[in-house]
Amino acid sequence: MERRWLRVLRTPLGAGAAALCGLVLVLAVVAPLVWGAAAEAVDTADILAGPSSEHWAGTDNLGRDILARVLVATRLSIGLALAATAIAVLVGLLLGSAPYLLGRRAGRLMTAIVNAAVAFPGLLLALFFAVVFGLGARGAVLAIGLAGAPSFARLTHALVANLAARDFVAAARIAGVGRLRVLFRHILPNVAEPLAVNATIGAGTVLLSFAGLSFLGLGVQSPDYDWGRLLYEGVSALYVNPMAALAPGAAVLLAGLAFNLLGESVAKGLGSPTLRGGPPPAPSADGDSRRAPAGEDARDDVEAADPDVVLDVRDLEVTVPGPRGAIRPVRGVSFTVRRGEAVGVVGESGSGKSLTALAVTRLVADSGHVEATRLRLLGDDLRGADTPRRRRLLGTSLAMVFQDPMTSLNPTRRIGGQLAEVASHHLGMPRREAMSRAEDRLGAVGIPDVGRRARQYPHEFSGGMRQRAMIGMGLMGSPRLIVADEPTTALDVTVQQQVLDLLATIRGDDAVGLVLISHDVTVVGEVCDRVLVMYAGRIVEDLPTSELATGARHPYTRALVAAVPDMETDIDEPLATIPGRPVDPAELPAGCAYAARCPLADARCRAEDPPLVADPGGRRVACWHAGEPLPGGTAEHPADELVETP
Amino acid sequence: MSDLRWQDVTVRYGRHVVVDRVDLTVPEGRIVGLVGESGSGKSTLARAAVGLAPVHGGTITLGGAPVPTSGRRRPLQMVFQDPYASLDPRMTVGDSVAEAMPPGRSRQQRRAEVERLLELVHVDPARARTRPGGLSGGQRQRVAIARALAARPRVVIADEITSALDVSIQGVVLNLLRELRRDLGLSILFISHNLAVVRYVASHVAVMRAGRIVEQGPTERVLGHPNHDYTRTLLAAVPGRRSQP
Ligand code: SF4
Repeated sequence: MERRWLRVLRTPLGAGAAALCGLVLVLAVVAPLVWGAAAEAVDTADILAGPSSEHWAGTDNLGRDILARVLVATRLSIGLALAATAIAVLVGLLLGSAPYLLGRRAGRLMTAIVNAAVAFPGLLLALFFAVVFGLGARGAVLAIGLAGAPSFARLTHALVANLAARDFVAAARIAGVGRLRVLFRHILPNVAEPLAVNATIGAGTVLLSFAGLSFLGLGVQSPDYDWGRLLYEGVSALYVNPMAALAPGAAVLLAGLAFNLLGESVAKGLGSPTLRGGPPPAPSADGDSRRAPAGEDARDDVEAADPDVVLDVRDLEVTVPGPRGAIRPVRGVSFTVRRGEAVGVVGESGSGKSLTALAVTRLVADSGHVEATRLRLLGDDLRGADTPRRRRLLGTSLAMVFQDPMTSLNPTRRIGGQLAEVASHHLGMPRREAMSRAEDRLGAVGIPDVGRRARQYPHEFSGGMRQRAMIGMGLMGSPRLIVADEPTTALDVTVQQQVLDLLATIRGDDAVGLVLISHDVTVVGEVCDRVLVMYAGRIVEDLPTSELATGARHPYTRALVAAVPDMETDIDEPLATIPGRPVDPAELPAGCAYAARCPLADARCRAEDPPLVADPGGRRVACWHAGEPLPGGTAEHPADELVETP
Repeated sequence: MSDLRWQDVTVRYGRHVVVDRVDLTVPEGRIVGLVGESGSGKSTLARAAVGLAPVHGGTITLGGAPVPTSGRRRPLQMVFQDPYASLDPRMTVGDSVAEAMPPGRSRQQRRAEVERLLELVHVDPARARTRPGGLSGGQRQRVAIARALAARPRVVIADEITSALDVSIQGVVLNLLRELRRDLGLSILFISHNLAVVRYVASHVAVMRAGRIVEQGPTERVLGHPNHDYTRTLLAAVPGRRSQP
């Protein structure tokens, strides 16, 4: 966590805001010591003077130096603002966490009161309290603090409610930990960070309100003075000496801005929802030895001119920036997809399978860098700059299906309209026609009662129907290639079956190429003709699905197949497991990336990365010991802890 | 006898009946699988037993007595689906496990017990001092199991605990559950939508749909010779069951 705060300071905005805040705080401490005397020095000979070399901002009606007074006022202004913020946060914390302790009914009443208070204009509330607590600094602190409390209460309440629904809180409750203890041990520590950020932002706002209150004469009373008070005095002399008002005004503005910006930049820096630790340090050796050996594919140029080839990928590399230098999560991937062929890509998380798909469809985020010696869709080069022509090609010939269809459906627009837009946008189809095609496509993907459904919004669709609608959207053009990334992972088994059936039908009827990416070997086995097994950013084996169960030659493929129980698995034996965990793309070893987990690994494996070699039948495998028998099954667990460190 | 038993249990949210007069038993020392699709009410049924969902009818008993949902002794524990949400990110692994222990032990005893439990779930005891941020999904899930065991439960409910894990790690967790049953005599209610996984770990299975249990019995019988149409539908949908296209 601490490291993330430091990271914020490294951004220009964060560093600037922090420096400014620091300066203001230092001033608050030292200014009265340094300029205290100057600020009090009365000089009746020189009252209400304009700026001069002696008094940079002029003097007030007793001839005191205004700049000195502004500097000295930092302590009181900041002190009062911080005190008021502290009150707001504390009271907010109490009110906001109370509903969690009070139980349902009292909690709900509390929440309603807080919500009403939030809706009440803050300054009015402050004025009301100022009258109640009387004029003067103490009243103003209480007033502004209490006026700020409802919004902190609401924030706390939202954060607490969110955390209370988390599993680790449920687990603590189930283990018999009392509510109060859960609040202090699990909830409040996790609330602290966002609350601190908001308090920093809040401090800036409080500073402004305080100045406002003092300016209205309701805050600090003379002989004490804060910036608001100085502003008030300055404004009365505005025509004589504008600096008298500008100086305290600028001080309020700067300090307020400093707090606000610091809070905002911290919020932005911490906003990345990473509760996990950062990735481990990357070794500098991200060398060139890893490039997939050239000529690894014997079928190479024969297929280059083949009109049946829909997608042709050669030596695909994706580079993304990492915390310590660039990382290459996809390293030299080559494959082709032919008309009517279904190719599955399997691998664990971090194997590069999804990035491969995104790179093919040119959807890699801007920070990523895609390189390939060949990347062709229907013979058209997809490399290089984005052109309208290429966009049209991708828009009409390629359909992409994601795990979560909600990411590609606009929640605020009707399904039918969204589909129709694809046709009118990419194909220039008239609206009416596009709409009827949309309904036709929705029908084709098995959406019942199309006329009514087309007018519904995405949230009115179930998960399976949304997935169908998205496939239907892909079918609005006449796709030659469908890339589906974990399309059924979030779906129930029976719905999963329907979606897989649908994909299989489309591919069969229209002779469309299909790339199906999945972590589940069984799903891929069901739909695809061919499987590419990916490990650490490379294809380690390419084989017909019919061979998966018995004919796989790479130790990883074999382990993957054995690790997944199916309806025939022997229930008397422990499941085969793959010891260790996938390698981090930032920490690739010199030799075979699988060596640390492989029962066949030897010295050569650890030193040299095996090339992906094709056999005459077109199957490919990257292993020095491909097809050799594995030593007496996989161990149950001893090796497990050995390497499974992140 | 310490069977966990739901008798005629109903759970409603507003007017919506989520669990509809369900009878289910997890016999002592058995792993019972509960399968069904999302929205079938299977998680709610489980959460009702630990007091996380309101029970509107029927009784839930453990060894004949109501399941305690207050106080420090909690013989029924639960492990959740998302390994990234089930551990407090700001607490060390050891503290999380120790927290669930019944009170009345010295610090040393607690530390020793944490080590024993972590070893039991095959996590290096040296990791007790780290925070979950440094653990993989599979390790987190095993720590969550250790925490559940720390409360000395008689029954553990495992709610989709492998569905967020990579396949290579899923096997480790499944093996662990079978081991715990065999070695500690732990009873487990294993909730999953994956029939192949349930078949592998559970000796009994119950099929739930729309708040009701439509079929239950020994795994071999239910999955081998299903009586209910819905069970057959589920079975037919298991990937890899059909011949190649
Ligand atoms: S090359 Fe060696 S370490 Fe790599 S998979 Fe083959 S046998 Fe295992």
